[in-house]
Amino acid sequence: MDKLSTQRLPPLKRNWWLKHRFFKLYMLREATVLPLVFFTLCLLAGMVALLQGADSWQGWIVFMGSPIVLLLNLLALAASLFHAATFFVLFPRVMPIRIAGHSLPDQAIVAGQWAGVVAVALLFFWLFGRA
Amino acid sequence: MMDKLAMNKPSMGKNSTQHKQAFDEPLWWGLFSAGGVCFAVFLPAVILFIAVLLPLGLLPAEALSYERASTLLFSVPGFLFVGAVVCLPLFHAAHRLRHGMFDISVGNDALNKKLMYGGAALLSIVALGLVVAGMLG
Repeated sequence: MDKLSTQRLPPLKRNWWLKHRFFKLYMLREATVLPLVFFTLCLLAGMVALLQGADSWQGWIVFMGSPIVLLLNLLALAASLFHAATFFVLFPRVMPIRIAGHSLPDQAIVAGQWAGVVAVALLFFWLFGRA
Repeated sequence: MMDKLAMNKPSMGKNSTQHKQAFDEPLWWGLFSAGGVCFAVFLPAVILFIAVLLPLGLLPAEALSYERASTLLFSVPGFLFVGAVVCLPLFHAAHRLRHGMFDISVGNDALNKKLMYGGAALLSIVALGLVVAGMLG
Protein backbone atom coordinates (compact mmCIF):
# COMPACT_ATOMS: atom_id res chain seq x y z
CA MET A 1 0.00 0.00 0.00
CA ASP A 2 1.32 3.38 -0.88
CA LYS A 3 0.93 5.92 1.86
CA LEU A 4 -1.59 8.11 0.12
CA SER A 5 -4.05 8.21 3.01
CA THR A 6 -2.86 11.69 4.00
CA GLN A 7 -4.41 12.95 0.78
CA ARG A 8 -7.81 11.72 1.88
CA LEU A 9 -7.74 12.28 5.63
CA PRO A 10 -6.94 15.49 7.51
CA PRO A 11 -3.27 15.33 8.53
CA LEU A 12 -2.63 14.09 12.05
CA LYS A 13 -0.60 16.11 14.50
CA ARG A 14 2.79 14.64 15.31
CA ASN A 15 1.85 13.95 18.90
CA TRP A 16 -1.34 12.02 18.17
CA TRP A 17 0.10 8.88 19.73
CA LEU A 18 0.74 10.55 23.10
CA LYS A 19 -2.97 10.70 23.82
CA HIS A 20 -3.61 7.04 24.46
CA ARG A 21 -1.67 4.34 26.33
CA PHE A 22 -2.19 1.84 23.50
CA PHE A 23 -0.57 4.15 20.96
CA LYS A 24 2.25 5.02 23.35
CA LEU A 25 3.03 1.32 23.67
CA TYR A 26 2.83 1.03 19.88
CA MET A 27 5.38 3.82 19.50
CA LEU A 28 7.59 2.28 22.18
CA ARG A 29 7.54 -0.98 20.22
CA GLU A 30 8.44 0.89 17.03
CA ALA A 31 11.29 2.54 18.94
CA THR A 32 12.81 -0.80 20.00
CA VAL A 33 14.69 -0.78 16.70
CA LEU A 34 16.67 2.36 17.65
CA PRO A 35 18.94 0.63 20.20
CA LEU A 36 18.94 -2.41 17.90
CA VAL A 37 20.46 -0.29 15.13
CA PHE A 38 23.03 1.02 17.62
CA PHE A 39 24.01 -2.52 18.61
CA THR A 40 24.17 -3.59 14.95
CA LEU A 41 26.54 -0.71 14.15
CA CYS A 42 28.69 -1.73 17.16
CA LEU A 43 28.75 -5.30 15.86
CA LEU A 44 29.79 -4.11 12.38
CA ALA A 45 32.60 -2.08 13.95
CA GLY A 46 33.63 -5.25 15.82
CA MET A 47 33.74 -7.20 12.58
CA VAL A 48 35.96 -4.55 10.99
CA ALA A 49 38.20 -4.64 14.08
CA LEU A 50 38.42 -8.43 13.91
CA LEU A 51 39.46 -8.19 10.28
CA GLN A 52 42.15 -5.62 11.15
CA GLY A 53 43.92 -7.72 13.75
CA ALA A 54 44.33 -8.66 17.42
CA ASP A 55 45.06 -5.12 18.67
CA SER A 56 41.98 -3.65 17.00
CA TRP A 57 39.87 -6.49 18.41
CA GLN A 58 41.08 -5.75 21.97
CA GLY A 59 40.45 -2.05 21.35
CA TRP A 60 36.89 -2.83 20.27
CA ILE A 61 36.23 -4.81 23.46
CA VAL A 62 37.45 -1.83 25.51
CA PHE A 63 35.17 0.45 23.45
CA MET A 64 32.23 -1.90 24.14
CA GLY A 65 32.96 -1.59 27.85
CA SER A 66 32.74 2.21 27.96
CA PRO A 67 29.79 3.24 30.14
CA ILE A 68 27.61 4.90 27.48
CA VAL A 69 28.06 2.08 24.96
CA LEU A 70 27.36 -0.51 27.66
CA LEU A 71 24.27 1.39 28.78
CA LEU A 72 22.89 1.69 25.24
CA ASN A 73 23.51 -2.01 24.66
CA LEU A 74 21.73 -2.89 27.91
CA LEU A 75 18.87 -0.81 26.53
CA ALA A 76 19.09 -2.87 23.33
CA LEU A 77 18.89 -6.06 25.40
CA ALA A 78 15.77 -4.79 27.16
CA ALA A 79 14.35 -3.65 23.80
CA SER A 80 14.93 -7.08 22.26
CA LEU A 81 13.04 -8.74 25.12
CA PHE A 82 10.18 -6.22 24.91
CA HIS A 83 10.06 -6.73 21.16
CA ALA A 84 9.99 -10.51 21.71
CA ALA A 85 7.10 -10.20 24.16
CA THR A 86 5.07 -8.19 21.64
CA PHE A 87 6.12 -10.23 18.59
CA PHE A 88 5.50 -13.71 19.99
CA VAL A 89 1.82 -13.04 20.73
CA LEU A 90 1.32 -12.10 17.06
CA PHE A 91 2.40 -15.51 15.78
CA PRO A 92 -0.68 -17.52 16.86
CA ARG A 93 -2.90 -14.77 15.44
CA VAL A 94 -1.15 -14.64 12.07
CA MET A 95 -0.54 -18.37 11.76
CA PRO A 96 -2.69 -20.55 14.04
CA ILE A 97 -1.23 -24.04 14.30
CA ARG A 98 -3.55 -27.03 14.11
CA ILE A 99 -2.37 -30.49 14.99
CA ALA A 100 -4.64 -33.47 14.28
CA GLY A 101 -7.68 -31.21 14.02
CA HIS A 102 -7.05 -29.46 17.33
CA SER A 103 -5.74 -25.91 17.33
CA LEU A 104 -2.74 -25.44 19.54
CA PRO A 105 -3.51 -23.00 22.38
CA ASP A 106 -2.02 -19.53 21.90
CA GLN A 107 -0.08 -19.79 25.15
CA ALA A 108 1.64 -22.95 23.91
CA ILE A 109 2.87 -21.19 20.76
CA VAL A 110 4.07 -18.19 22.77
CA ALA A 111 5.80 -20.48 25.28
CA GLY A 112 7.42 -22.40 22.43
CA GLN A 113 8.96 -19.20 21.10
CA TRP A 114 10.29 -18.23 24.53
CA ALA A 115 11.77 -21.73 24.70
CA GLY A 116 13.55 -20.79 21.45
CA VAL A 117 15.05 -17.71 23.13
CA VAL A 118 16.26 -19.85 26.04
CA ALA A 119 17.65 -22.48 23.65
CA VAL A 120 19.69 -19.85 21.79
CA ALA A 121 20.97 -18.48 25.11
CA LEU A 122 21.98 -22.01 26.16
CA LEU A 123 23.76 -22.49 22.82
CA PHE A 124 25.70 -19.30 23.48
CA PHE A 125 26.51 -20.47 26.98
CA TRP A 126 27.79 -23.74 25.53
CA LEU A 127 29.92 -21.82 23.00
CA PHE A 128 31.27 -19.06 25.24
CA GLY A 129 30.38 -19.71 28.85
CA ARG A 130 32.68 -22.56 29.70
CA ALA A 131 36.22 -22.01 30.88
CA MET B 1 -18.29 2.50 -25.39
CA MET B 2 -15.35 4.55 -26.53
CA ASP B 3 -16.36 7.33 -24.15
CA LYS B 4 -16.42 4.91 -21.29
CA LEU B 5 -12.99 3.56 -22.13
CA ALA B 6 -11.59 7.05 -22.40
CA MET B 7 -13.13 7.96 -19.07
CA ASN B 8 -11.78 4.90 -17.41
CA LYS B 9 -8.34 5.30 -18.81
CA PRO B 10 -6.93 7.84 -16.38
CA SER B 11 -8.21 6.00 -13.35
CA MET B 12 -7.03 2.68 -14.77
CA GLY B 13 -3.63 4.21 -15.33
CA LYS B 14 -3.58 5.32 -11.72
CA ASN B 15 -4.60 1.86 -10.56
CA SER B 16 -1.87 0.20 -12.55
CA THR B 17 0.80 2.40 -10.98
CA GLN B 18 -0.63 1.61 -7.55
CA HIS B 19 -0.38 -2.08 -8.39
CA LYS B 20 3.19 -1.53 -9.43
CA GLN B 21 4.01 0.14 -6.13
CA ALA B 22 2.28 -2.56 -4.14
CA PHE B 23 4.42 -5.18 -5.88
CA ASP B 24 7.41 -4.80 -3.58
CA GLU B 25 5.49 -4.44 -0.32
CA PRO B 26 5.13 -8.21 0.33
CA LEU B 27 8.94 -8.42 0.12
CA TRP B 28 9.40 -5.68 2.76
CA TRP B 29 6.77 -7.23 5.03
CA GLY B 30 8.36 -10.65 4.56
CA LEU B 31 11.79 -9.32 5.48
CA PHE B 32 10.19 -7.43 8.40
CA SER B 33 8.67 -10.67 9.75
CA ALA B 34 11.80 -12.75 9.24
CA GLY B 35 13.90 -10.01 10.84
CA GLY B 36 11.40 -9.73 13.69
CA VAL B 37 11.74 -13.42 14.49
CA CYS B 38 15.55 -13.15 14.44
CA PHE B 39 15.47 -9.98 16.57
CA ALA B 40 13.25 -11.74 19.13
CA VAL B 41 14.87 -15.18 19.21
CA PHE B 42 18.60 -14.53 18.57
CA LEU B 43 19.33 -10.96 19.62
CA PRO B 44 18.70 -11.27 23.39
CA ALA B 45 21.45 -13.92 23.68
CA VAL B 46 23.75 -12.19 21.18
CA ILE B 47 23.52 -8.82 22.96
CA LEU B 48 23.86 -10.42 26.40
CA PHE B 49 27.01 -12.35 25.53
CA ILE B 50 28.77 -10.04 23.06
CA ALA B 51 27.78 -6.57 24.27
CA VAL B 52 27.36 -7.13 28.02
CA LEU B 53 29.23 -10.17 29.36
CA LEU B 54 32.25 -9.86 27.01
CA PRO B 55 33.14 -6.21 27.75
CA LEU B 56 32.47 -6.72 31.46
CA GLY B 57 35.05 -9.54 31.45
CA LEU B 58 32.50 -12.09 32.63
CA LEU B 59 33.35 -14.63 29.91
CA PRO B 60 36.31 -17.03 30.15
CA ALA B 61 39.42 -15.33 28.73
CA GLU B 62 39.66 -17.55 25.66
CA ALA B 63 35.91 -17.53 24.89
CA LEU B 64 36.17 -14.69 22.37
CA SER B 65 39.91 -14.26 21.98
CA TYR B 66 41.07 -12.81 18.66
CA GLU B 67 41.88 -16.29 17.30
CA ARG B 68 38.64 -17.92 18.43
CA ALA B 69 36.44 -15.00 17.33
CA SER B 70 38.11 -15.00 13.89
CA THR B 71 37.68 -18.75 13.48
CA LEU B 72 34.02 -18.58 14.49
CA LEU B 73 33.04 -15.53 12.45
CA PHE B 74 35.00 -16.11 9.25
CA SER B 75 33.30 -19.37 8.36
CA VAL B 76 30.10 -20.60 6.72
CA PRO B 77 28.25 -20.69 10.08
CA GLY B 78 29.61 -17.18 10.69
CA PHE B 79 28.12 -16.07 7.37
CA LEU B 80 24.72 -17.49 8.38
CA PHE B 81 25.09 -15.89 11.82
CA VAL B 82 25.59 -12.46 10.21
CA GLY B 83 22.58 -13.04 7.94
CA ALA B 84 20.34 -13.85 10.92
CA VAL B 85 21.76 -11.37 13.44
CA VAL B 86 22.70 -8.39 11.25
CA CYS B 87 20.99 -8.46 7.83
CA LEU B 88 17.43 -9.59 8.58
CA PRO B 89 17.09 -7.47 11.77
CA LEU B 90 18.37 -4.49 9.73
CA PHE B 91 15.47 -4.88 7.30
CA HIS B 92 13.12 -5.25 10.26
CA ALA B 93 14.50 -2.01 11.70
CA ALA B 94 14.30 -0.26 8.31
CA HIS B 95 10.63 -1.18 8.02
CA ARG B 96 9.76 0.03 11.52
CA LEU B 97 11.74 3.24 11.08
CA ARG B 98 10.02 3.94 7.77
CA HIS B 99 6.57 3.41 9.24
CA GLY B 100 7.48 5.22 12.44
CA MET B 101 8.66 8.24 10.45
CA PHE B 102 5.39 8.22 8.55
CA ASP B 103 3.50 8.07 11.85
CA ILE B 104 5.19 11.21 13.17
CA SER B 105 5.20 12.93 9.75
CA VAL B 106 8.96 13.06 9.25
CA GLY B 107 10.18 13.39 5.67
CA ASN B 108 8.23 11.88 2.81
CA ASP B 109 7.52 8.18 2.53
CA ALA B 110 8.80 7.68 -1.01
CA LEU B 111 12.23 9.00 -0.04
CA ASN B 112 12.26 7.39 3.44
CA LYS B 113 11.51 4.06 1.83
CA LYS B 114 14.53 4.31 -0.44
CA LEU B 115 16.79 5.56 2.36
CA MET B 116 15.72 2.93 4.92
CA TYR B 117 15.69 -0.18 2.72
CA GLY B 118 18.69 1.10 0.78
CA GLY B 119 20.60 1.63 4.02
CA ALA B 120 19.66 -1.83 5.29
CA ALA B 121 20.75 -3.39 2.00
CA LEU B 122 24.04 -1.47 1.97
CA LEU B 123 24.95 -2.40 5.57
CA SER B 124 23.94 -6.01 4.90
CA ILE B 125 26.27 -6.20 1.92
CA VAL B 126 29.08 -4.63 3.98
CA ALA B 127 28.50 -7.13 6.82
CA LEU B 128 28.43 -10.19 4.58
CA GLY B 129 31.36 -8.79 2.59
CA LEU B 130 33.41 -8.51 5.82
CA VAL B 131 32.81 -12.21 6.54
CA VAL B 132 33.80 -13.17 2.99
CA ALA B 133 36.90 -10.95 3.21
CA GLY B 134 37.85 -12.68 6.47
CA MET B 135 37.32 -16.11 4.93
CA LEU B 136 39.56 -15.22 1.96
CA GLY B 137 42.21 -13.40 3.99
